[in-house]
Amino acid sequence: MSREIVIGLEIHLQLKTKTKLFCGCSTDYIGAVPNTNVCPVCLAVPGTLPLLNDRAVELAVRMGLGLDCSINDNTRFHRKHYFYADLPKAYQITQYEYPIAVGGHVDISAGGKEKRIRVHHLHLEEDAGKLVHPTADGRLTGASYSLVDYNRGGMPLSEIVSEPDMSSAEEAIAYITQIRQLARYLDVSDGEMESGSLRVDVNVSLKNSDGSLGTRVEIKNVNSLRSIERALEFEVSRQNRVLDEGGALVRETRLWDDAAGVTRSMRGKEGERDYRYYTEMDLAPISAGPDYVEAIRKGLPEMPWEKRERFIKQYSLSPEEGLRLTELKEVADYFEVCAEGGASPSRCANWILMEVQRVLRETDTDISVFSVAASELGELLLKVENKDISNTQAKDILSLMAEKKISLDKAIQSSETAIGRITGPDLEVIVRKIIESEKDAVEAIRSGKDKKGSKAKFLCGLVMRETRGSADPAEVASMVGSLAG
Amino acid sequence: MDFHKMSAIEIAEGVKTGRWSASEVLAIHLDRIKKIDKRINATVTLSEESAIKAANETDKAVREGIDPGPLAGVPFMVKDNFCTEGIKTTCCSRTLADWVPDYDATSVKKMKEAGAVLIGKTNMDEFAMGSTTESSFFGPTLNPRDLTRVPGGSSGGSAAAVAAGYCPIALGSDTGGSVRQPSAFCGVHGMKPSYGQISRFGVVAYASSLDQVGPITRDIKDIAAVMDVLAGPDENDSTCSSYGRPSFSSRLPDGLKGKKVAVLGGYDTGLVDPALIGAVEKAAKYCVSEGAEIGETILPVATKHSAACYYMIAWGDASSKLACYDGIRYGHHEDGENLFDMYKKSRTGGFGEEVRKRILIGTCILSRGFYEDYYVPATKVRRIMADEFARLFESFDALICPVSPFLPTKAGMPEDNPARVRLGDALSSLANLAGVPSISLNVGFTKEGLPLNIQLIGPRFGDTGLLSIAFALEKVNGRPPVAKIDEEGGVR
Repeated sequence: MSREIVIGLEIHLQLKTKTKLFCGCSTDYIGAVPNTNVCPVCLAVPGTLPLLNDRAVELAVRMGLGLDCSINDNTRFHRKHYFYADLPKAYQITQYEYPIAVGGHVDISAGGKEKRIRVHHLHLEEDAGKLVHPTADGRLTGASYSLVDYNRGGMPLSEIVSEPDMSSAEEAIAYITQIRQLARYLDVSDGEMESGSLRVDVNVSLKNSDGSLGTRVEIKNVNSLRSIERALEFEVSRQNRVLDEGGALVRETRLWDDAAGVTRSMRGKEGERDYRYYTEMDLAPISAGPDYVEAIRKGLPEMPWEKRERFIKQYSLSPEEGLRLTELKEVADYFEVCAEGGASPSRCANWILMEVQRVLRETDTDISVFSVAASELGELLLKVENKDISNTQAKDILSLMAEKKISLDKAIQSSETAIGRITGPDLEVIVRKIIESEKDAVEAIRSGKDKKGSKAKFLCGLVMRETRGSADPAEVASMVGSLAG
Repeated sequence: MDFHKMSAIEIAEGVKTGRWSASEVLAIHLDRIKKIDKRINATVTLSEESAIKAANETDKAVREGIDPGPLAGVPFMVKDNFCTEGIKTTCCSRTLADWVPDYDATSVKKMKEAGAVLIGKTNMDEFAMGSTTESSFFGPTLNPRDLTRVPGGSSGGSAAAVAAGYCPIALGSDTGGSVRQPSAFCGVHGMKPSYGQISRFGVVAYASSLDQVGPITRDIKDIAAVMDVLAGPDENDSTCSSYGRPSFSSRLPDGLKGKKVAVLGGYDTGLVDPALIGAVEKAAKYCVSEGAEIGETILPVATKHSAACYYMIAWGDASSKLACYDGIRYGHHEDGENLFDMYKKSRTGGFGEEVRKRILIGTCILSRGFYEDYYVPATKVRRIMADEFARLFESFDALICPVSPFLPTKAGMPEDNPARVRLGDALSSLANLAGVPSISLNVGFTKEGLPLNIQLIGPRFGDTGLLSIAFALEKVNGRPPVAKIDEEGGVR
């Protein structure tokens, strides 16, 4: 039987601050030698005290405003107690009551429908360290010891908890994508699952026949969107099977095993654990009053959905173009600078979504470090529009600029094709060359067998290709006719 | 010269003017410690080498005409829960018995910058949990005023050191009376400033919202001098207030004239030793003779609930702050069969009985099913207490009451009357819970030579005014003398 699926997501975003949440250690810890990105505070050395990173609060407020949350000026930190080797203080400083932002939403599009997913709250917390188990598969089972690396301990996280409003993997993915886009637009987080700056815990249950919520299971260790899809598929099928067989589900946390494609029971769901939450007394109260919030609100950039609407209107783009161009803020910004160059927005959009993406893929580059400036692309496209260069030639020039990292002018100079129309004697050289190499076709024309003119057309096509489209087709046809005929 | 009988200000004055050198001052104090500490056991670590080096540097600065600081050449000791760079900091527990921090607590750093010379670390109740210094991993400290009695706790070593003339200044930490009560037992002065007055950075935590650094001296002018050095904001402690502190020393002579002083009533004075009641009355009379008004007051909520409130909040916080001792990054470690077995063995092996008891009870207090009924009401009562004090100080400048209801107890024989114990805990924790300043002032001795101290409590961040009242009341009996201890260990 297929019961109605209820999904809630907890997303952890690593905040783009320079230093950790409660100490001056750098947040640039990836690749660092273990236990070198640490200090007495994040190692919980006796006598040390946490010191709040104000920028982290600012970024949390930004994200909260982007999610249309209310900002709590009564916000404070709490201690969440548990013993584990990656938690030096044996408590995590987090927020339990009065989180910094509450009651927002994210609008998604999935299965052709628009849907609003409510956000319960956003709170700040510090990350734990990392455990390394010296087993073949890196898992804890069978390890006689484990190593702990505290480099990540104390990294600033904002946890976004949704209401259980999603009902399919597709909706879940759409929600995560939207959160990630917003985080990147607001420059709050890189939001990358591969590098761990965006982590997701999935909560899924099946509705009972009377419509009440079923037993909730939390799934951890889903490290990619694909994993989330597969894990949800497995877990929903597992839960359905258990219920169909008349069994009862346990409220628990299960780990996703990507290799085996299954979720495995880990421990009782953390809601049963007693974390002995109480107020963190080593930190002064946070002030996130109305003036502070207003100042941040004023400094917010255009939201992705605002930009999308504006692009469609302002640049007369299709909804599809609007959506794709505004997916990444860097691409949207690139487009706008390019369009200032005078070429039609439609042409710019087309080129950026097709040719530029192709070149970026080929050179394995990100648009934020693309060697071709948006203004230069704008210039190039204007030349195409003014018919100074053909479309084909322009594609070559773009590739040249990207590969050799040279300016537009240099690329034009050093390009192997002449710019402007190839005409007269220059064209004759090419026509003669083609005629030389296509003796069969020429023979057919000369002997009068090319009644439909397809061989002549074929020769013209070759000439056009040779000139990279920059010759006048009429002139080519005439020249081929006279020289081949 | 009897440097060990001088006040800190007197010593510094002489060093700054070149009358004597920091090195000779140091030598006298070190000599005294080495001779009598085997009887008193107030010292955990003597840092002789670094002290001599520091004293030499001070002398060099003086010779070169460089300002050596307001406490130039003054020897000082700190309780063994203050982190001292390169010097063992044990909290008198097996857990940290070999731990050497690589940084100085802010208060230690500031004392050094003021020219004071750190000579060693003092004995304490394990992790500051206790009121007799008998739970120390390194054995008990004896009271220099009477070697058959306890020096109080948890800063018993620091109070004993000052009483015995090891140094004119020692620093302690006060969470529920741990500076003021041992000061009373040892017959010296001790102050717990307002919460947030002095940085807690580098003081190993017991309870985050109650701990404060406190100076112990034989002269109120020295307390004020230490406050001038230590009080102030610290970028490493966000609970340390950044308000602009006045000069504590310059306001000392303000005096009692025109002040209103309240005497605390509303508790069973029958539980208090008559000599200590007498001390309070003597102080009250002196206030009147100096032009102050005396009144009576009661603090119904505070008096009734302070002790219970203290246990809930302090022990709950302690269970949290002591959770980091897992034997992984520092501290006592014992191997186990798995992670949790390792935790259990390391922590059980490292902590003494009193500490284990408080951690267990504190964990319980914060647990589901207890938190709402015990901890949360305690935090509410605490706010009510703070309000009671605030209202009191709208009409009065200071409150007088005993520090402890009983005189120093005999070693190994703690007070066994539960009502007296509760009253003692209540009186000593009032000021911590309300965040207000409190001074334990010596005003004399009994015929048997046991010290008589009174407690003076003032409004939050009214430390300056409180010190000036204490300065005036010090004249009741004058500055307490150094305890007479001969090398055979006889006292007086």
